[in-house]
Amino acid sequence: MRKYFVVFGLVMTMFFSATASAREVTFDTQLTNYRGDGAYLAIYLTDSNGVYQGTLWIAGRDSEYYKHLRGWARGSRMRRAEYDGLTGASITSGRTLTMTMNIDDSFIDNGYEIHVDTAVEDRRDNRSDVMVPLTSEGAGKPVAGRGYVKSFTYNF
Amino acid sequence: MKNRSIALGLSMFLLTGAALADDDCDDPVSGWQPRENLRQQLEADGWEVYRIKVDDGCYEVEGRNPHGSRVEASFAPSNFELMELEREDEDDDDDERDDDERRNYQADGNRQQTMPSNGIVKGRPSVSVQ
Repeated sequence: MRKYFVVFGLVMTMFFSATASAREVTFDTQLTNYRGDGAYLAIYLTDSNGVYQGTLWIAGRDSEYYKHLRGWARGSRMRRAEYDGLTGASITSGRTLTMTMNIDDSFIDNGYEIHVDTAVEDRRDNRSDVMVPLTSEGAGKPVAGRGYVKSFTYNF
Repeated sequence: MKNRSIALGLSMFLLTGAALADDDCDDPVSGWQPRENLRQQLEADGWEVYRIKVDDGCYEVEGRNPHGSRVEASFAPSNFELMELEREDEDDDDDERDDDERRNYQADGNRQQTMPSNGIVKGRPSVSVQ
């Protein structure tokens, strides 16, 4: 009987440690009405020194254009493993990209920053169109971008 | 005789070239209207415009016509006269995959084939575009 308790305890410990290590975060990225082709976006994390840590999402499927997401391209070196499973369609003018994902807890309230690079064909590329710390305090507070991003918000 | 054959072949080649060149646009650049004007005109006519680029002197538009068909159309840059219209298959290229993807987002919210493995994102993200 005691053996069962031990096994049950182990299972519960594993369950809670697994669920506690990640937090569900929803990111909303609304674009301005720039009236051009679909925008490519790279949403990624850096540490407080701006050093690339990992990709959250790439909007835009044609990897030929990824070099225009300049900050991300430099940090990730555009390695496929960096964005595998994290890509989708480009976003057209005025639309809002909403993504919900579980992010490892260690990246929240620990000095990490979210960056959004944007690019549109025949128009200027915006390295760090948005740059905002990933903190509990910053959750729910919209931030204006300086390029094609009208508003960027994240919520836990 | 041989010279006549060569001359005939050459004239056929030039005629064919002239026929093929019919779809090209030769409007002087000084008379071109901005592509945004074409986008606005097409959208007002019920088109969904994905991309406008310059090809052979024409504005080449990729998008959907008011009937919802995926098309590639060429317009003269000065007066937006339709020069060529092609209906496209849905799965031809990356851009169309983008469009398919966009539609699928609306339908099922997410379409990822592989699990991310960068240590930051756990499991599959749910993504939509509105």
